[in-house]
This record gives sequence, structure tokens and C-alpha cells, in this order.
Amino acid sequence: MTKTKTTYCYRQTFELHPSGGVYWHEFNMLLIADVHLGKVTHFRKYGSAVPQGAITQNFDKLDQVILYFKPAVICFLGDLFHSYVNQEWNMFSNWIQTVEAKIVLISGNHDVISPVKYEELNIHISDEWSLGSVLLTHHPESREGMFNISGHIHPGVRLKGEGKQSLTVPCFFKQTHQMILPAFGVFTGKHILNPKLEDEVFVITEDEVIQIP
Amino acid sequence: MNRKELQQIAIDWFQQQGWQPFAFQKQTWTAFLQGKHGLLNAPTGSGKTYALWGAIVLEYIKRNPEYKSKHKKGLKAIWITPLKALSIEIKQATERFAEGIGVPLTVGIRTGDTEQKERAAQKRNMPDLLITTPESLQLLLASKGYDTMFKDVTSIVIDEWHELLGSKRGVQMELALSRLKTVSLSLRIWGISATIGNLEQAQEVLLGQNNTHLQNSVLIRANIKKKIKVKSVLPDTMETFPWRGHLGLHLLEYVIPIIHQSKTTLIFTNTRAQCEIWFQKILEKYPEFAGEIAMHHGSINKETRIWVEHAIRDETLKAVVCTSSLDLGVDFAPVETIIQIGGPKGVARFMQRAGRSGHQPGKESVIYFLPTHAIELIEASALQNAVLSNQVEDRMPFLNSFDVLVQYLITLAVSNGFYPEEIFEEIKRTFCFQAITSEQYRWILNFITIGAQSLQAYDEYKKVEIEDDGKFKVKSRGVAMRHRLQIGTIVSDAVMTVKYLKGGYLGSIEEWFISKLKPGDVFTFAGRNLELFKVKNMQVLVKKSKQKKAKVPSWMGGRMSFSSEMSDLIREELYAANEEDKKSKELKALQPIFERQRKESIVPNSSQFLIETFKTREGYHAIFYPFEGRFVHEALASLLAYRISLLLPISFSLAFNDYGFELLSDQEIDMQEVLDNDLFSTQFLHDDLRKSLNATEMARRKFRDVAVISGLVFTGYPDKLIKSKHLQSSSQLFFNVFRDYESDNLLFQQAFTETFEHQLEEGRLQQALERIEQQDIVWRHCKQPTPFSFPIITDRLREKLSSEKLADRIKKMTIQLEKP
Repeated sequence: MTKTKTTYCYRQTFELHPSGGVYWHEFNMLLIADVHLGKVTHFRKYGSAVPQGAITQNFDKLDQVILYFKPAVICFLGDLFHSYVNQEWNMFSNWIQTVEAKIVLISGNHDVISPVKYEELNIHISDEWSLGSVLLTHHPESREGMFNISGHIHPGVRLKGEGKQSLTVPCFFKQTHQMILPAFGVFTGKHILNPKLEDEVFVITEDEVIQIP
Repeated sequence: MNRKELQQIAIDWFQQQGWQPFAFQKQTWTAFLQGKHGLLNAPTGSGKTYALWGAIVLEYIKRNPEYKSKHKKGLKAIWITPLKALSIEIKQATERFAEGIGVPLTVGIRTGDTEQKERAAQKRNMPDLLITTPESLQLLLASKGYDTMFKDVTSIVIDEWHELLGSKRGVQMELALSRLKTVSLSLRIWGISATIGNLEQAQEVLLGQNNTHLQNSVLIRANIKKKIKVKSVLPDTMETFPWRGHLGLHLLEYVIPIIHQSKTTLIFTNTRAQCEIWFQKILEKYPEFAGEIAMHHGSINKETRIWVEHAIRDETLKAVVCTSSLDLGVDFAPVETIIQIGGPKGVARFMQRAGRSGHQPGKESVIYFLPTHAIELIEASALQNAVLSNQVEDRMPFLNSFDVLVQYLITLAVSNGFYPEEIFEEIKRTFCFQAITSEQYRWILNFITIGAQSLQAYDEYKKVEIEDDGKFKVKSRGVAMRHRLQIGTIVSDAVMTVKYLKGGYLGSIEEWFISKLKPGDVFTFAGRNLELFKVKNMQVLVKKSKQKKAKVPSWMGGRMSFSSEMSDLIREELYAANEEDKKSKELKALQPIFERQRKESIVPNSSQFLIETFKTREGYHAIFYPFEGRFVHEALASLLAYRISLLLPISFSLAFNDYGFELLSDQEIDMQEVLDNDLFSTQFLHDDLRKSLNATEMARRKFRDVAVISGLVFTGYPDKLIKSKHLQSSSQLFFNVFRDYESDNLLFQQAFTETFEHQLEEGRLQQALERIEQQDIVWRHCKQPTPFSFPIITDRLREKLSSEKLADRIKKMTIQLEKP
């Protein structure tokens, strides 16, 4: 049973999913950051034998979260593709045909593939996207009067418990004017952040989003 | 010339120097000239270099009677040293001998420090003797036409073989030798080793299985008995002796008179951090030593280290605070006294360090042992017994190190290319791969060619390609270049260089330490207080600081464990604490600690197995005391925690030292249930241990090494960090994808095998459990931590094991907020 968590910012409703995706109710839009498609193949091409099984898992995960929310729009917040075109691009092109939603890509630092190739697949590409008072970007940004949703950081936190227990887990990192999404991709790392008292942290496990009090 | 006449040449030279050859030197010359291979067991400073180099030169004279006038160019002998720092000494000694008897043989050095220009010159015109490291030898195997280069090599000497034997560098050496046996047409293989418990095995590993080399070999023992005197540094009163702590600074004042008494004293510490602190504190408290003491450890720049080494020889230093960096090699005649701070963890290491003093023949070596906490006094006493009875531990050779094999095969594919059948025959005769199956070999060949076990459509994996005639070859220049950069089996943390802002190189430091500092922070390095200015391109730029308080970097060294011999001695020593008449000086000094221990608990005797439980602010502690050494305790803790975790969902934090181990949890363990369920049983031992590894993180750390050595993880181009960043990924991440998608991968499996099996001598765990079964279990529920438990529960290096659901664990946890 998948357990999501709903949070409100600037009077908008965001439903956080354990996959790392966010569903924005008012706009019927699914937000996903840092999938890093093509990374496994990129490593293999350079002689590092990362298991190929990890490639299909990204697409399976995408399918599952899309099926869960059935969004009208999917917006990727950058680093959709890790490298230059490789075999995984073809898999991506085939996969995109199966998706009914409109797709937008906010380009990130890893997105080096020509915009023309994206346009050919009917993916609209842009540096940022503001919708009302919400600003979608790849790198976290702060802009007067706007709530920013971004990726890039791959946020995670370190948790501590009794009996000298500790864990690091990926999370949604929410501040007053900003929310950073965890990396969606299977073969991606995380960067540990130290929250302040006023920050909200939602960690993700396989099937549950848990807010850390 | 016959053998006698040949040997006379060497003897004459010895006499010209005013020396007499030792029996072992003559034995070595004879055996070598008879065409034998072998292992020479001789300590540092005994003339071992002349034993083998002498033989090589005499053999050359034998083959080239007109040696004085005619000199045929080309490589004839290879000398492998594990430390590049030793190569200069060896070069000087070998040149001195060759010149002395008028043989025009040239000697060259090729290590990581050798300049590109010099290397290129060597490739065109090799010296007669090449002094090099195992890694540089592999690099030569990675260059085209290595077979021609090595064709006329008649001898290879592996110096300090005991240092390589128990590591993957040893495996790398075994593989290189297996190739040289084929390409060098008449090769003699010799090793030199200090005394270890398994010398015969060391000889077998060196020469390989099922071949004529081993049959036609000898083991020569120098039998130089060194008298060693061990003294403990004891405080006048035990009241202030700490229960734990690893620095030992409370005994600083007792060290000063020792330094004053002798010409030069070497103070050995176990970590570089400890070395830095001791150096600072001596100067702080006794400023009169300024200029008379120095520091020596592996992260300090080479020039400074060489300066210190010279200064020791020139008798200009009173004392040097050092780490294992001064364990090996060169003789320091003026050194009269050694101080060992904290447990050396091994008898061999302790004796080797002791042997650094009193080098002149007949002189006694003196070593002081300075315990850093109370319980270590037991170690002091046990060490004295070990030295008396000469109980030296084994060095365990690796088996089936597939990661090193993968690296080696790619090395061969980079240079000449290889035919799998030919190489399979060679590697099967090495000790490490004696049991490799053709299925495993096929797996590895698939791995390096298609990066999987079955060919997938449209896969772009690229590494080794198979040519039409079946030759395995690397064709991509990029693959070849990245492979050459990564040859080696020593995996270390990313290291950054420390430099003054104005220029001037200070040394290198682990990245993770610097990552904890902010610009403006002051830290201690190379004996100075430095202010971090900024970090740029893997360089740490610093300024001198006048600030007194500073952070001390701690270097993660490998943690050592007691050998089984040492553990036996420790147990005996401890049990003796219950018998009035058997007490040593150290045990008597420990009396106040034993009394406190007995207030809450007991000091076990040989028929008792002690378990203590108590609660503190941290949670519920359960401490077990098998006294079997750290490695056994690691395995036992993991095993027991796993078996308990099958009874109920629970999370543990595990800690261990050489005396016992701790299971800490936020839930109380029902100890009666543990005892009733017979959780110390030897049944299903192997199976349970393996399963326990899945629940802990222990295999992850091993996998990191495996991944780097086998080339799964690329560690980057030097000074070109940005460019390779998209190829870098943490080995954690690799571990996870292998666990989830390819857990039958041989390299992934190897990490699990290595975690316990390599570091535990066969059957040691079984024996420990059998011993516990014979003992009466004494379970004490204590109100507070006991003196015995203290060093364990305060250890911060821990493992985790959990059978709880991740979400359930998370719900009990909190975040540490950033301090405002």
C-alpha cells in the first residue's frame, strides 16, 4: 500500500509520493526531478559494468507513479538524461509514445542533448516555468513572492535514534519559500542536508512518505 | 669458474670491507648458483640484500666469463620492494657491491616517483637491475612488447615478501610471476621475508602450485636471534589511569626521562593523528626539545621524511615520533630505544619495531610499552611472554581474489593481448587461484568483454574485445588510459594535497577530514597549526596560524586485530588475575581496576564466560567477553545479533575490541531467552554468518575495494576532476544496484566472502564457540558500566544490524538540527 503525504504551500496542494514524484493537484501536474536516464549505459560504455537491470527499473517506476496520479502534465525538473544520446535514448523515445500526458522539461546541468531531439518527441523544453506564484526550476532559486520547486541537490538527511542508531535517507526538503525534490532515478546518490528548525523534511521509503517531526 | 671460485670473489669483497659473510649469505649464494629458487628468512639490517644481489652477480659472472670487458645490454634482474622509499638504499647497496668487484652492471629505479623522461629512457635502454614496486611491475606488463623486455631476465627478488603476502598486492605479485615464468626463459624466483608464523606457506605462495619451481626450492633461515628487552611504562598510582582513551598522554612525563637517557629514541604511535598530537604535546610541555625532536608519517611530504631519516642517521635528533612509516627498511644505528604507545596488536610488528633499536651486533634491543588505558596493561604483560616464546603470527594469503584477476587480465589485454587458454594454465598454478573453476574463469572473461553473462541487444559495454583469432585485446585508447591510471590494489580515500597559500607543499590529507572544515578553521598538520584558506582543485590552501587550539585530523587506518596466539596469551594473563601467585608487575598495578570490576561484576576465570547487561542514557547494553581478538568478535557480534533479530524485530548497534563485543539496542534483550535458545550454537554457523552479513553494512566496505580494484569504479584522472565527474559514483550506489539487480555477480559475492573469511583463520570462530560451550555462562545485570565494558561502549566505530522495517525505524528517529 502506497502512502503519500499532502502538504500545502502558497495555497496550493502538493501530494508527495514515495517514488520522489510530487502531484500538484490544482494543475493536475506531476513533478519529477533528476531521473538521470542513460547513466547506466553511459557507465557501461566507458567500461564500468553496472547491471543492466537498473535501466528498466527507471521506466517501471515512472509508469507506476503516472498510473497512480494519472496527471495531465508531467514536468521533469532537470537532469532527465545523464549524458549524450545513447541506447537509453531510444528506450526513452519508445516509452514516451506510451505516455498520454503533455511533457515539459526544465533543463538541468546534465541535459546536454539538443532541444531539437526533445521537440521531435513533443517534449517542450524550457529553462524555468512560472505558474501563478510557483516557480519551477532545476537549481534551487529564490525569487521575491514566488514559491520555488526544484531538484539538482538530491537531498537526504541523517536521522538519529536511541541505541546509537542512525540512517541516511532521501527526502523532500521544504522551506518557507522552497521545496527541493529527491532524485527520482534508480542509480543516483544523495547529498546530506542539515535542516534548520523551521524546515520541513519528508523522507521516503519504498512505499511510504514520512514527515520527520 | 667453479662455484667455490665464484663465491671467493664475494668473500674477498666482504673481507675488503672488514666483514665476514654470514652462513645464510653463503647458503643463499650456493643454492642460487645451483639453480634453485627460494625464500630467505632474514631480518632488516642483516645483510640480506648482499645475500641475493651477491648471488645474482656471481651468476652473471658465471654466464659471462668476459664480464669485465663485454657487457650485453638489457634487463637481467628485477628487485621488488613494497615501499618506494626503500629503493634508494637498495640501489646504493647493489651499486656498491657491483663496482667493488668490478662488474659493470647498471642499476635503475622505477616507481610512481620516477619522472616521465626517466621512464621513457628506461624503456629504450633498460638497466641491468631494475628496482621497482609491484604496481610499477604491473604497469610494465601493461606496455606493448613486455615479453621482449623480460625475455632475458634471469632473476627476480621479492623483498619484504611478508608485507605483501597477506594483502592483494601479494596476489598481484603472484599473477605477475605466473606470467614471467613463461616469458622469461630461465628465471629464478627468490623472496625475502621477516619471521612470520607461516614461512613454509609463504614459500609456497611465492613459487606457486604444481610446478617445478616449488619442488626445486629452498627455505633459508638466517637464525639471527636478537635479544629484546620489554619494559612497561607504569604510573606511580593507578588512580588517574583512564579506563579508555587511545592517546596515552597521561604518561607523557614518564617518557621524557627515557628520551634523555638514550642517544635517539623512536616513539611509535598507531595512527597519524596520535603521532601529530604526541609531537605537539611533547613540545608544548617541554619546549627545550625544539629542534631536537621530529615527526615522521606517511602523509608528510617526501623531502621532510627523507630529511628526518638522514637526521636520525647523523645523530642530530633526540627523538622521532612516528607511525608504521618507519617500520621497514633502512638501518638507524644511533637508535637505542623504542617506545610503543598503545597496543601494537601483533607480536611480529612489536618485535620488528623493537628491532629498530640496538642495531649493532650483540646489542640488545630495548622497547618500552606505554599502555593508553588500563586494560591495555594486560596486553603489555602478554606481549612480554610472546616475545620470550617468539610467538609470531601468520600472514594469511588471499584466495580467489577475482577483482585482482580482472585487473590483471585487462592489463594483459591492454599491452600484447592474451589468449585465454594460455593464461588459464598459468593462473591455475598460482596459490590464489589454485581452485578456480573453468565456469568462474568463463564468467570473468564474459565480464571483461560484454560486462554481463549474456549478450543484450543494443548494449554499449566496451572494454576488452575479442579478435578473429581469439585474442583478447583492449582497442579503445580511453579504456587503456583509464586502466593504466588505476592499476594497483591499495584503495585509499580521496587525498588532497596541503599547500601554503604562498607556495610550498606540506603533505596530503584525506578529503573527508577537510570536508568537515570551513575556511578560517585551524587544524594541526605536519606539526604545525594551519588555517584553512580555501579548497581548490583538490588542493588545500592554508596559512600559518598562531592560534593554540586546533583540530587534529584523524586518519582512518586499518584496524588491527590480535592473532589467535596473542589472544590465547591475553586470556591466560587475564585469568591469572584471579590467582595471587601468578601475577605480573602489570597485573599488580591493575589491582584497583579489578576491584572496581568486581564490585559490579566479576573478573572471569578460565571456566567462565562473562556477559554484562546494563542500561544507560544511550539504551540497553549487552557486553560479551570471549577475549578472542577483534576479528572473531566482529563475526560473533554479527552472528549473535542476527540470531537475536530472528526472535523479534530489533535494531542493534555493534561495537567490538580485542576483549569483547557489545550489542546496543533501544529495546532490552531478554538474555535468558538468548541463553535458552542456545544462540552460541555452532550449528548452521556458516549459513547464519553469511545471512548476518546481509543485515549489516560490513560487506559494503569490502565491496568498495573490490569495485575499485576490478575497475567498476573509476577514481578519476589526476588533476582533471571535473571532466571525469560524470563517470564517478559512490561505491555505495554500486553496492545497491548490484544487490538489487545482480547479486550473483562474482565480484559482489567476493565482498561477502572477504568480510569474514579472509581475516579469520580457518576454524577460529568455530573454536571460539566450542570453547564458550564448555564454559559456565555468568550473566551479570549491572547498575552501571564496568571498567571492562568502558573501552567497548565508548567506541564510536560501529556496525548496525536490524530486522525492523525501515519505516518503523524512521518513525522512532529524529533529525539533528543545524546549530544556529
